[in-house]
Parts: sequence; C-alpha cells; structure tokens
Amino acid sequence: MKHEARSSVKMFSQTLDALSPWIALMVKRRRRFLVGALLIWLTLAAGLSLLGLSGWFITACALAGIALLLGIPSRLDVYVPGGGIRFFALLRTVARYIERLYNHDTVLRLLADLRYRVFGQLMQLDEAELRRHRASDWLGRLTADIDALDNLYLRLLMPPVVSLLVIVGVSLFIAIWLPGIALVSGGILFILWIGLTYGVGRLGFAASHRQVADQEVLRRFVVDQLQASAELIAYRSAAWHRLQVESHEEAALNNQRRLGKCVALGNSLISVVAGLLLLGVVWGGGLLVAEGTLAGPILVMALLTLLGVNEVFVQLPGAFARVGGSVAAAERLNGLGSAAPLLKEQALPPQELDIVVQAVTHRYSSSMMPALENVTFQLAAGEKAIITGHSGAGKSTLAALLTGRLVASQGEVNVGGCLPAAVSEKQRSQRIVLLTQQVDLFDASLEDNLRLGNPDASEEALWEVLEAVALDTWVKSLPHKLETPVGERGQQLSGGQVRRVALARLLLMDPSVVILDEPFAAIDQATVNTVANTLSHWLEGRTTIFFMHHGSSLLTQQVKHHWHLSAGKLGPGN
Amino acid sequence: MTEQSLTARSWLKTLATLERRRLYLAAFLGVLAGVQTVIIVVGVAWLVEQLVVFHQTPHQLVSVLALLALCVIGRGICQWGQEIISLEASLRIRRYARRQMLDKFWALGPVWLAYHQSGALATQAVENIEALDGYFSRFYTQLRIVSLLPLLILCVVLKLDYLVAIFLLISAPIIPLFMALVGMGAERVNRDQFAAVARLSAHFLDRVRGMATLQLFGRTQSAHKDVWWATDDYRQLSMRTLRLAFLSSAVLEFFASVAIAVVAMYVGFGLLGYIDYGPAASLTLFSGLAVLLLAPEFFQPLRTLSQHYHDRATALGAAESLVTILNESSIQRHAVIEPSNESIIAVLKDVSVEYATRGQVLGPVNLTVQKGDIIAISGPSGSGKSTLLALLAGFLSPSNGVLELMSPRYAWLDQQPALLHGSLADNLRLANPEADTAAMQWALDQAGLEALLSQLPDGMETLIGERGIGLSGGQAQRLALARIYLSEANFILLDEPTASLDRDTEKVVVRAMLEWAAQGRTLIMATHHPAAISAAKRHLDLRAGRLEEVRHEA
Repeated sequence: MKHEARSSVKMFSQTLDALSPWIALMVKRRRRFLVGALLIWLTLAAGLSLLGLSGWFITACALAGIALLLGIPSRLDVYVPGGGIRFFALLRTVARYIERLYNHDTVLRLLADLRYRVFGQLMQLDEAELRRHRASDWLGRLTADIDALDNLYLRLLMPPVVSLLVIVGVSLFIAIWLPGIALVSGGILFILWIGLTYGVGRLGFAASHRQVADQEVLRRFVVDQLQASAELIAYRSAAWHRLQVESHEEAALNNQRRLGKCVALGNSLISVVAGLLLLGVVWGGGLLVAEGTLAGPILVMALLTLLGVNEVFVQLPGAFARVGGSVAAAERLNGLGSAAPLLKEQALPPQELDIVVQAVTHRYSSSMMPALENVTFQLAAGEKAIITGHSGAGKSTLAALLTGRLVASQGEVNVGGCLPAAVSEKQRSQRIVLLTQQVDLFDASLEDNLRLGNPDASEEALWEVLEAVALDTWVKSLPHKLETPVGERGQQLSGGQVRRVALARLLLMDPSVVILDEPFAAIDQATVNTVANTLSHWLEGRTTIFFMHHGSSLLTQQVKHHWHLSAGKLGPGN
Repeated sequence: MTEQSLTARSWLKTLATLERRRLYLAAFLGVLAGVQTVIIVVGVAWLVEQLVVFHQTPHQLVSVLALLALCVIGRGICQWGQEIISLEASLRIRRYARRQMLDKFWALGPVWLAYHQSGALATQAVENIEALDGYFSRFYTQLRIVSLLPLLILCVVLKLDYLVAIFLLISAPIIPLFMALVGMGAERVNRDQFAAVARLSAHFLDRVRGMATLQLFGRTQSAHKDVWWATDDYRQLSMRTLRLAFLSSAVLEFFASVAIAVVAMYVGFGLLGYIDYGPAASLTLFSGLAVLLLAPEFFQPLRTLSQHYHDRATALGAAESLVTILNESSIQRHAVIEPSNESIIAVLKDVSVEYATRGQVLGPVNLTVQKGDIIAISGPSGSGKSTLLALLAGFLSPSNGVLELMSPRYAWLDQQPALLHGSLADNLRLANPEADTAAMQWALDQAGLEALLSQLPDGMETLIGERGIGLSGGQAQRLALARIYLSEANFILLDEPTASLDRDTEKVVVRAMLEWAAQGRTLIMATHHPAAISAAKRHLDLRAGRLEEVRHEA
C-alpha cells in the first residue's frame, strides 16, 4: 500500500499541508476555541473533583467515625466538603449544558466560514471544470467534505488539547501531596496521550484516507449496474459484473475492518493503562500510608481522581484513527480551482460590439476529440447569426468561449476587440449575455430570480418584462405574486415557465451581445409567437447568435448568417 | 406477499437476526467487561479499607492486587472483543443488505430503472447501507447491555447497602421510562439538527449548482456574501431550538452527578454515625466507597446508549428509504413460459402492458417471432415500440395475456448505449466476459473503431467515460456495435439504434444491421430508417398500442 511505505514524517507533513489552510481559518476564531476548550475542561474537571472530593469526604468521615467510637476526640468540618460536593455536581451539569450549546454554536459559525471559503474557490472555476463536476456526484461529496472539516474542530482539535490540559491539571493536583507518584502517573498518561493521538492516527491513516475513495469505487460499480442493466441482462453478464462489485466491496469492508481494529485497540489501551495505573497508585500510595507519611483520605482522593481520568481519553482513538479521512477531504477541497485565474485587465469599448472568432480549436482535457476544431467566423456589431447543430456539436463550448468562462486552447476569440475571459466579470456580464440551454433558477422568490438580471430594476420594469414573455396574467393570479417562491431549481414552475422567466430576466438587461441557446425550447406554440415578437424587438441593434437544433422560421427574417456546427466544425448552414 | 409489508423496523430486525450470534456475543462481552469493572471498583474499595483502616501494607495485599490487575487486562480484552465482534456483525449485515438491494435492482429491471435516477439509487445502495453501521455495531449491542448491566450493578449495591440501591432505583425510576425520555430528547436534537443542516446545505448547493448562471450575471460576489449570511441565519435559528433540545441530555448528566453527590453525603454522614436509620449504621469505608464508585457505573451504560441514540435515528431514516425500494414490485419472471416449438423465439398472445401511472401503453398484441425473422417495427413515438422490445427482452412482464419467450443470450442496443466506468476492454467484456484480446480487436475493427483504438494512450486498457477519455455519441454507439459483434448473439434487439447519430455513424450502424440480417440472425428493430425497414422480412406498424403487419415476406 502506498501510504504504509511512507515514513511517519511524510505522513505528518501531508496532514499538515492538507489541513493548515483550514486550521488557519479556525485560528481566526481562537477566542471561541479557547472558551469552548475551557468549558469542556471545566466539565471534566468538575466530574473528577466530584469523585475525588467524595472519596476524600467518605474516607475522612470513616476515620473520624472510628476515632469517635474509640473515644478519641476528632473534629471534622462536614459543611465545606459537603458544599463542595454539591457545587461540583451542579457545576458538572451546568458546564456540560453550556459547553454543548457554546461549541455547537462555534461549529455552525465555522461551517459558515468554511462554506464561504469553498464558495470563493468555486467562483474561480471555468466552464470546463464546472461541467466536469456537473457530470458526477461531486455536489454531494462537496458538502460531505465540508462537514468532515467542520467536524475537525470538535473531534480532532478540541479533545487532544482538553485531555492534555486535564492530564496536567490532575498531575499538578496530585503533586501537592504526592509529587513522585504525580510525576510517574503524569508521564504514563502523557505517553498514553501520544499513543492515542499520534500512534492511532498513524495506524489508521492509510485506511481512513482511502475510505471515501473506496465508497466512490463501489458507487461507480452500482451506477454501472443500474445504467447498463439492459446490456448486462441481455448478454448474460450480470454474474460477471456482480463478481467485480463483490471483490471491490470486500476490499472496502476489509479496509473498514482494519480501521475498526485500530479504534478498538486504542479504546482497550485506555482501559488497561488507566486501570493498571490505578492499581499502581494503590500500591505506591499504600506504601506511603503504611509509612505514615500520607493521610488515608488524600490517597483515596488521588485514586478517585485518577479513576475518572479515562473519560477524557475516550474520544481520541475514534477521532484520530480517522485523521486520514479528514486529510483526504481537505486535499479534495484544496484541489478545487487550483489553476491561477486570468488577470482581468481588458475593458470593453462603450460602443456596440463585434465578434471575431479566428481559427479556434478547443480541446477538453478529458476528451480525445476537440470540442471545436478550427472554427472561424465574424459578426459585425448588430448582426445576427443562427448556428444549428446537434447536442454535443460544440455549441455550449462556443458560448462559454464568447462569454469568457473558458479560454480556447488555440486561436483567437474577440468580442469588441477584447478577449472575453480577460474582462472583469462585472463588465462582461452586463455587456455579453447568454441564455443557457439548461436554465438555473435559484431557490428564492420569483422577484429575486428576475432581479438577477438587474438588481435595481423597478417593480414596473419587472411587470413589463413579465408581460413581454406573457407571464403577467399568471403571476397576477398567484397568491403571493412576485413573492412566489420558485422552489429548488425552479421545480414549482413548468419547463416553459422557467424558460420564459429566464427570458424575462434577460430583457431587464441592456447588453451589446446576446447569445440564445434554444430560446423557445419547452415554450408552447401558442405563446412562442408573442415571445418571439418581443424578443426580436428587444434584439434590434444587438449582436446576436441563436443556437438551434433546427433552423426556425420565427427569427430567420432578420438573420444575416446561417452556419451549421457538426462535431466541432463550422460550415455553411442549409 | 410478505415483501410488500416490509417496514424499516421489521427489516432492521430481520437483518439483526442474521448476525444474532455475533451481536449477542458482543453484548455478552460488554456485560462481562462491566462485571469486571464492578470487581475492580469493589476490589479497590476493599484495598483502600485494608490500607487506611486496618493498616495493612501493600505487600500483604499483593494477591488481591494481582487479581485486580488480571481483571483490568481481562476487561481490556473483553472491550476489544466486543468492538471487533460487533463491527464484524455490522460489516456482514451491510454486505448482506447491499446484495439484497443489488438483487432487487435486477429484479426491478431496466424499464423501472429508466424511470429513476441512477445516482439517487446508487446512494441507496452505498451511502444508505453504510448508514446502518452505527445501529448494528454500537446501538444494538449497547441496548442489550443496558437491559442487563445496570441490574447486575444494582444487585451488588443492594448487597452492600439497600438504601443506596433504593435511591438508585428512584433516580432512574423505571429504566425504560428514563430511556424514552433520553430517546425523545436525542431524537428531537437529531431531527432539528438534521432539518437545519439540510436547509443550509440546500441553500449552499443551490448556489453552487447555479455557479455558471451567477458567473454569467456577474453575481458571484453577492452570492458569496449570501452564503455566509444564510448559514449564519440558520445558525441563530437552530441555536434557539437546540437550547431546549440539549436540556434532555442535561437531565441524564444531572441524575448521574446528583447520584454521586447524594451517595457521598449519605455514606459520609452514615460513617460519622449521624444516620442511625436502616443499614447506615453498618456502613464501613469498604461498603461506602464501593457504593460511591458503583453509582456512576450504574448510569454509564445509559449514558453510552444516549450517545449512540443518533445511530438508531440515522439507521431508521436510511432503512425507511431502502425499504420503499424493496417494497416495489419486481418483474414476474416466473409468469413467462418457454415456447413449445424450438424454432420459435417468442409468442405473444393478447399481451398488454399497463402502468399504474400511465395506463395501458401497449396491447392487446399478438405476435410470433420465428428464428431467423428480421422484423422492423415502426410507429410514432409513444406508440409502445420500446415497451414491445422490453417485453421481448424480458425486461417487463405482461399485465395481461400470455408471453412465451425463449431465453437465449441476446444482444441489446438502444439509443444511448451504457458505458461502464472502466477500460475499453471492460466495456467490451460486458458482452462476453471470456473474450480474448484478439476477439476484442476484431470486434472493434468491425465497428469501425480501429482508428480510435490506435489513438488511445493505453490501448485496450485506457479508461473511458466520465473518469477517462470521453467518447462522442457516435463513438459510443460504435462501441455498442462492437459489443454485438463480440457477443456473436443470434438474437438481436435494437431500439432506435440510428436516432440522433451523425451521418457517418448512422451508415456504419445500418451496414452492420444489414450484415447481421444477411447472416441469418434474428433481428427485431424499432426503427424509422428506410434502408433498415426495406431490408426487413417483416414490417410491423405500431399505433396507439396496436400492432399491424404491413409486410410479411415468406
């Protein structure tokens, strides 16, 4: 296995490399981190004190009771320790409650920070990468990875710090009476701490680092079974495929088994070491009591404090065995948007814009065939063109190049004399617009979705554009009118309505270049004419490209050029 | 059918019985570890009394110390065993459940699958099955431990001091009631948290999904800030509910703390002789210390259970969605019989197909397919062509009528051939797992893919598809042709094989179809391609679910 061959130094630096940007993010919240740690420490300390003090109290009472029986006068103040016991019992409960609330709050704050950071990275992605992600189940994994890092704080950062603090606290406390024993037990607990953090982390690193990848492989096999089920049944190769699924599943389960053993080892180590340490203190402390240099109640207090100490370790093995998983999640997130974004230094001229595409070839890294091959065309300012072609012919690649969300691997793309990708997002988005084939509406109100086109549009303007796409009567009939939520991905609306909202959104803008990918798809025949009419008015004077499966009679009268795109090559239209 | 009445709970229960022996062994080891803990704390209490009250030296107590050390090691081993064994049980249960799911997917058939998103279904078979882990590896065992260990501890306490035992009983009035309280609290925390997190994730994912649109409208910056504020708003909302929800777990903590405090006070005052009621007078340092140490142990199993309670909620949630799929009705394969005559491939007698949601889509249809038949089926989209082919492929069972179907190995080709996430060779072997390289090479040549093969960096072993080299629609269809060549199947079903293809590929596909027809293979194709139709010996027209034979050459 790759990771096992690595030296521990390498593993350590890999962990640090992957996690450091995220830990840096958490360091910004260090005050909350400290308060949170202190609260956990207080909870644990109150628990230990409760037991320790109770032990001392009982023993002292027993000795005083015996003395009384023997008629030896003895004085024992029962009120201070009694009050202490009640205090610690209450403190433990209250501190636990506040600690949980406080740390939960911190975790949610961190989640906001993490998402903010990841979103910032994603903003830089170009169309090629966005498309690659769209194809897979990347979105689901993205949130899982962010959650994994969010857990980092409560599981990986907090517990080791707090447990170390408790070790120090307990050792110092015992050292007041038993410095020798405190030194030895502190040392043993510290070694245990190292073993549970570093040791378990190292043992489980490879297995947990692979866990998500294992799941992905398994997932791909299941998707294969589902998508190719017709072929697998027809060719009688279902059993062959199942054999492959099972061998990968077995590997994944073996990996989990290894990880589980690692955690179990850590857990039983805690119980054995803490138990033997306790017996050791019974021995050592017993010797001192026999010598008469140590009071009985103090011994019992030390013993009971140590008895509770294993509670501070219980979270460590489970968390540290999975360090590899957190590192893998961080590595995946770090890998997003690694390419340096282009400098946005060009500015579009104020007048109308022309389009010049010169010998453009674009090749996606994952594809053998170029998506566009030696495409050349020109469109003077204000001219219109139809480009027909099947899906997959290269239309969306061309649209991405013209809107500056992709840079061609060869050749030149110029809009108004500028490379669109080098123009600032703000200016580009106002001057060059694209109606994509797949329309994205956001899970917000109708109004918010319209205002995406122009945040400052007046309400009249909104109604105007709704009328232009023949949606005004429908919106007026809705109980919440413009405030109607459209649902996730616009699911509350029909396909045709979504399309028309997207068109209305464009009509709110004042661009120089308009690219429309199948503008009338999913719109019913009755409304197409109305919409086409307003659209052609609005398009007057704007440089326009229509992408269509087939030439449409609705718009051809004002279109000067007609080209056909087939397998990335542009030719004359028919 | 019993299958229909499967619920999440009953399914989990059935799964647990599969590994009952391991799960119970794990619980037994857990109880054994608990018993050893009892021995250790009682032993330590006894040792303390010997040292402090009776002034023994540790050297005189060495045998007891050694016994306790053995218990400590034994407890470690038991805990280790409990974890390992319950993990093993969980692994085996998950493996079984996953295979049950995968088998169900076969049983539901390609037609059902076509109406469902494969990504979502894969989540069921992978993530949701994994979500069952905690229930079997932790919760199930702990629940068994909880029902026994506190009782054992109570017995020991009863022996030492019955007043403390009564107090423990009162503070955990009736254990099931107590657990219900904890459970309700935990479930509520879980539910609230889950809902808040789900809403949060939905907002975030919504914006990420629409990133291209945000870029196009120049709104990435404002959405960026939005992401932070939305998360923060939800934080404030969910904190309000959590303030209440966390209270219930605080109750458990409170009982455990108060139990220690009360026992300590009672024992202390008893030892001082302030209490002369009941067993207090006979308290010693040994019995007092022992009951003090046993009090938290009494609550420990419950606290552990409450920590694992969310495992149960998670597993139930996952099981619920898994069970809905397991409850779907499968294809009735047993309803299909073999034709009596060997020269007949299929006989349809008054066969019709109806779906609950779409009503009758095909039929009644009568058709006999002979060996060597070349049949073209035409008809407008939605007339039931695909349904008829699915029937002949055995992907569907008829709702009415009789279907006799021979089940040879056959080839299947539709508009969108499936690509496996694997190498080119894997994608070919799908049609014939035993094929050697030479045969695969030949099949690729036949399908006109020799040029592609020579370009691939790792030849036949190059990964293709989403994770490797992307293929165009035309290349994918040629690959599907190569599969048919490789399979040498004599019965070939083709569902609109030339739709949405570029002209070159279309030519290759039609040529292959004519070639197979000439070789005397049985071909059934749903197609509109004139050349394919004219090459067919029989031409059937399907309109609104009714079949009409346009032409039948002898």
